[in-house]
Amino acid sequence: MRRELEQIDVPGEHDARERTWSVVQSAFDEREPTPQASHWPRVAAVAIALSAVLAAALSPPGRAVLDEIREVVGVERAQPALFSLPAPGQLLVASDAGVWVVQEDGSKRLLGPYREASWSPFGRYVVAARQNELAALEPDGDVRWTLARPGVRSPRWTGTEADTRIAYVDRTGLRVVAGDGSDDRLLAAGVRGPIAWRPGARFLLAYATPRAVRVVDSETGRTLWQVTRPVGPVDLEWSSDGSLLLVLATRHIRLYGVRGYIFEKTSPKTAPYVAGARPRSGQIAAALSHAGQSKAYIFSGRTLFNGTGVFQELLWSPGGRWVLVTWPTADQWVFVDAERRDQIRAVSNISEQFRSRSFPQVQGWCCAP
Amino acid sequence: MRAERDERAHVRGAQRGSASDLEALFRTHWPRAFRAAYLVTHDAGAAEDIAQESFLAAIRALDRFDRRRPFGPWLHRIVVNRAIDWTRARHLRGEVELLDSSASSDPPDASGGETLAALARLSPEHRAVVVMRYVLEFTPGEIAEALDVPRGTVNSRLRRGLDALGDAL
Repeated sequence: MRRELEQIDVPGEHDARERTWSVVQSAFDEREPTPQASHWPRVAAVAIALSAVLAAALSPPGRAVLDEIREVVGVERAQPALFSLPAPGQLLVASDAGVWVVQEDGSKRLLGPYREASWSPFGRYVVAARQNELAALEPDGDVRWTLARPGVRSPRWTGTEADTRIAYVDRTGLRVVAGDGSDDRLLAAGVRGPIAWRPGARFLLAYATPRAVRVVDSETGRTLWQVTRPVGPVDLEWSSDGSLLLVLATRHIRLYGVRGYIFEKTSPKTAPYVAGARPRSGQIAAALSHAGQSKAYIFSGRTLFNGTGVFQELLWSPGGRWVLVTWPTADQWVFVDAERRDQIRAVSNISEQFRSRSFPQVQGWCCAP
Repeated sequence: MRAERDERAHVRGAQRGSASDLEALFRTHWPRAFRAAYLVTHDAGAAEDIAQESFLAAIRALDRFDRRRPFGPWLHRIVVNRAIDWTRARHLRGEVELLDSSASSDPPDASGGETLAALARLSPEHRAVVVMRYVLEFTPGEIAEALDVPRGTVNSRLRRGLDALGDAL
């Protein structure tokens, strides 16, 4: 039997081995060896810290101390304003005032009173949504076309230099329109999202319902695969090479391969709550929270940044070197150099700079013009 | 004995960050990991993903790995359990594959095609037991522990699997 089984040809073994070695090697390079310290001092320290926090919380002077601690959350040597981005590209930011384009030199332009936006694939245009309108604009604010639809949200633009599509959600469901505003059509009735285009030339779209995640060919409407378990997803994120789909739910994440099978799932304790795909790679940055602390890390294990409270977004620079960690708890943006973790640039007063009472959302960091 | 000593040295080296020791472990254990995943899933693309993810999982757990234990069985246990999960999930979903997934079909006239076809007719659990016994060279006791089933179940799955393969071949 052993001989019979060893004689079976396994197709593509050599290529598969070399591809895997390359992935394994890079994961190994990024790993952080765990210090082999005794656990008892750590347990004792945690217990002492917890006692102190509890004691503080129970008395008025203690509460005052906690308030002070809240005030000092954040990177200490942060710049008071965004003077420049650490890498080429432009940011798209949604605040209470509307959608903004931020240039590499830190200059900002308010495009208009839109709620959400997405870059076109090469950063030449922006698609933005407000209550009953989908609009395609140039980054200087000139409107190219608009489409009146009820309750527009979640616009996402994808495609190649030759052909693009925009997916969005309105009160009828999930819709797709060509990049020039023509051929608007309903793809899936009643769907509210989240949605995510698979990177690549084909117009493959992942979307979620409360009970399923589907990947469909938006041109034909054909379902390529679906997972029908109730996963309650809150966000979908493809890796930049399109090989992985990360499904973020409230209490877990699942990572699917291109044919729709799970090859990573997490327990509630280790479930990230936000993720961002690194350009030109299969890597994903994620953040998880434990005991009031958040950790941003590359999915294979390497830590990028730790902080108190929650992170809102993780966005990679177009070149894939810097990660922008947006941090509402500290009202800061923290740019982390993923290749040299001692390189951190932080910017404070984010809400004020975007004329916003709530913490602004960064909706894209796109290609340099 | 020499091989075991070498393996322990490679694990120790990899834990300390040596890429060459990691490569030695990878080159030693990849062929059987990939073959085992393929024989359980019958899908080369899935086998690659499963073997790759198993190595990545092993790297993530490397610092916690007890060097007194052999590395191969630890890795292969991850591979086989993932392969069984994948095969069950595919069966449940009636999966439709993406058109551009090129590495997923079996060549019908490949060497060993009859054995492969006979193996395909077994359930994933039976296939896994046969593969663990005859490809990965686990003992029935080790298979029982790895799959978390009683040893009697392993023996009966082995017997039924071999009977079915014998009939088919």
